[in-house]
Amino acid sequence: MSSRYQKPPEEPELTPSVVFQPSSARGMQRGVNILVNVLRPTLGPHHGVVAIDRVVPGGTPEMLDSGGVIVRRFLQLPDRDADMGAMFVRHMVWRQHEREGDGTVTLAVLFQSIFNQGVTYLAAGGNAMQFRRQLDIGARTILAELAKQARPVEGQEALTRVAESVCFEPSLARLLGEIFDIIGEYGRLEIREGRGLEPDREYVEGIYWDGGLLSRAMMAPMEKTAPMPGARPTDKTVLRAEAENAAILLTNLDIQDPEDLAPVLQAAMDAGHKALVVVARNLSDAAMALLMLNRNPEKLWIFAVKSPGPGSDDEADGLTDMAHLTGATPILGDAKQTLRDVTPAHFGRVRLAWANHEYFGIIGGGGDPKALRRHISELRAAFLRIDAADERKKLRARIGKLMGGTATLWVGGFTPADIEFNKELAERAGDAVRGALLEGVVPGGGVALLNCQPAVKRLLKQAPTADARAAFRILHRALEAPTRVLLENSGWDPSEVMAQVQHAPAGYGFDVVAGKVTDLAAAGVLDPATVLSRAVSSAVTSAGLALTTDVLVHKRKPVQELNT
Amino acid sequence: MTLETSSALNDAWEAGSEDVVYALAASPQFDRDGICFAGRASGLYRSANGGASWQPAYATLNLSDDLSTSAVVVSPGFASDRAVFAGVTGAILRSHDAGATWFLSLLPSPPPVVSCLVASPDYERDGVLFAGTMEDGVFRSSDRGERWVRWNFGLLDLHVLALALSPDFAQDETLFAAVESGIFRSTNGGRAWREVPFPEDLAPVISLAISPDFKRDGLLLAGTEAHGLYVSRDRGRAWAALGEGLLGEAVNAILLAPDFPQTPTILAVTSDGLSLSVDGGSTWSELAADVPPDEAVVAVSAPRGLHPGAPLLLGLSNGGVIRTGAGRQ
Repeated sequence: MSSRYQKPPEEPELTPSVVFQPSSARGMQRGVNILVNVLRPTLGPHHGVVAIDRVVPGGTPEMLDSGGVIVRRFLQLPDRDADMGAMFVRHMVWRQHEREGDGTVTLAVLFQSIFNQGVTYLAAGGNAMQFRRQLDIGARTILAELAKQARPVEGQEALTRVAESVCFEPSLARLLGEIFDIIGEYGRLEIREGRGLEPDREYVEGIYWDGGLLSRAMMAPMEKTAPMPGARPTDKTVLRAEAENAAILLTNLDIQDPEDLAPVLQAAMDAGHKALVVVARNLSDAAMALLMLNRNPEKLWIFAVKSPGPGSDDEADGLTDMAHLTGATPILGDAKQTLRDVTPAHFGRVRLAWANHEYFGIIGGGGDPKALRRHISELRAAFLRIDAADERKKLRARIGKLMGGTATLWVGGFTPADIEFNKELAERAGDAVRGALLEGVVPGGGVALLNCQPAVKRLLKQAPTADARAAFRILHRALEAPTRVLLENSGWDPSEVMAQVQHAPAGYGFDVVAGKVTDLAAAGVLDPATVLSRAVSSAVTSAGLALTTDVLVHKRKPVQELNT
Repeated sequence: MTLETSSALNDAWEAGSEDVVYALAASPQFDRDGICFAGRASGLYRSANGGASWQPAYATLNLSDDLSTSAVVVSPGFASDRAVFAGVTGAILRSHDAGATWFLSLLPSPPPVVSCLVASPDYERDGVLFAGTMEDGVFRSSDRGERWVRWNFGLLDLHVLALALSPDFAQDETLFAAVESGIFRSTNGGRAWREVPFPEDLAPVISLAISPDFKRDGLLLAGTEAHGLYVSRDRGRAWAALGEGLLGEAVNAILLAPDFPQTPTILAVTSDGLSLSVDGGSTWSELAADVPPDEAVVAVSAPRGLHPGAPLLLGLSNGGVIRTGAGRQ
């Protein structure tokens, strides 16, 4: 019987090798151009699609139009020198995708232009290190010019335009505009699979964490009066536990001995609390039984939930945030504290606490609002300071939770692949809107980059050395590259349109959808400033690095994990 | 400057009763219909003769206990819709016959304590109302008070002490919330809130006033609990003290002339009494009113503006209301 899976081909036993200039530059250039040329058709509203074979043979190819996703799927090239160039681009583009969610193809096109021109210049005898320094100077000027063009973006309409500039889907963009007008730049947005074809949204009030009830026996059916996580918009009832005006105890202890809970219950009753929520890492069956035994709606209503997880860092962060919200003082095992230390002062307070088997939520914490605002302000400062994408995501999620509400966007589609594609698109557009809210917007359609050309030209006129002149000339030309690709992809003649744009007033560009030269910012064609700035910065830095790479060293076997 | 007290209208209040006036509201046609309301710990009271006599407004509800009324607002279209809204713990009461009969709209549990009520300047068209609460943030109604929804996205402090709507709310959808830790702003009709950079050490903010010409002058006044009065002339971005050293520490209420800044008159109700500025806050003079010793003015209403001779209703900490008229300088 034949298998649908084919035996993988024998891998050639490749010998280690070292490649020097000029072969190294030419080899990398081949790879850079292969991968960037794959990405180029996906730029702009009239973009093409890239079909990529699935890793498992058979089935339809993946039809992709997101630079970040395409590079993620991109496999190794057989030409090992070229492969190094392609993987260099892959890493650069993926970083942009991870951090900004957009601007990947603009980055790739900018990089390609600078790199190709640079290879030619250096082959003619330019000094690579001097040239790279001048590129950096030029980049700083461009970034300053972009910053001058950035305008804050506010209001649903403007945010919708930013979203549409990424997703080109009016109905999705309209919802994202509304959502971010409400949740703000750090707000919590959950993108979930919807039932219908059209996207929809709902808003959940309050703050909630993963980690629900420690015992399902604590849940009861309740009428669903408002949107809530873990429930479908069509659900009429939900299973959950609720407590109003409750005391809350926070701990990361694994409570095994029921005796340990006695001081907690005593302290709660002594303080006159009528409801108590225990947040703990775990409760033994015996400890849970004690809580159930003492659970009395007239005297002390109790439920217990898992501390936020999954990791200990997440738990510590979650407990810290809960403490600020509720005014509780956590009992921490790391500090050798036990529940015997609990006094009424350790309890925080919540107006309404709820939990189901997945989530635990709070509406209205009793913490000091000034301290909470300071805490959020510190988290925001850390978010802006930190560069690592994972850390930033975690911080954004924490801030988003603390902002007091969550938006859920329901995204549908005809097939599972369609739904995945739409979810990814919504996420990407959402990231771009966040970026726009954080650092403003600039005119889109490549105009913001064209607007930087006069400043680069001034640098060129004052350039003292041949390397500087070459660097600024190359950057000047590269700034046109994204617009040219955008025009090509939309079926316009770049040379003809660029000539029109050059004679138009400042800020004017070619609206490829309307097919005319216009004030792009006024027409609502906008790009998030942060996306474009990072693309420029990354393109120039990466090009400088690639152009000063003289030697390629290949190991015996290609690195396997790149084939993901 | 002094206030000439035209009449002390404490007769309706029992001397020595442990009551307090939380809020006052008057009909936009006060000079013609004389209708005004006083929200007290003992309930809502209504006067139909400019404050000369008062009757319990909840009489038709046949309540067995007092229904403490912490907020009251009269519809801007009162002349035609006769709508009045009263905030009580856990609910908003609404009347469509100038306070004769009432309908109840429950707020979501746990029962919030309503601290303030405001109506959209364009209420006749949009039917939008806001209720600030002591622990549960802001509730919004867009169906003339029938249903109320909590909208607190971004409102990091749910202890709302005052609300102020832009006079141009129908267009700019802007409103401000004074809270324990400062001030928040919404620019989308209360669906989301953002922090206003009001200095944290000056909070709590307990009163707000917004310029009738806010669209052009961007002027917002904030009265603090312990640090006097502050002004922003750029829609809340930068703040400066106003009347520093001239006003009491706690600014309980602020009123601006309806045609401010053409008539740059500001009335501030402070812990020291009533202060009036006729030059936009540069100089202040104390206003003497017949406030009993050991009592304080805790609520104020100026149904016909702040021009000399216009009536002022002053709610007192003993539950009394006095009507005064502004005198001449």
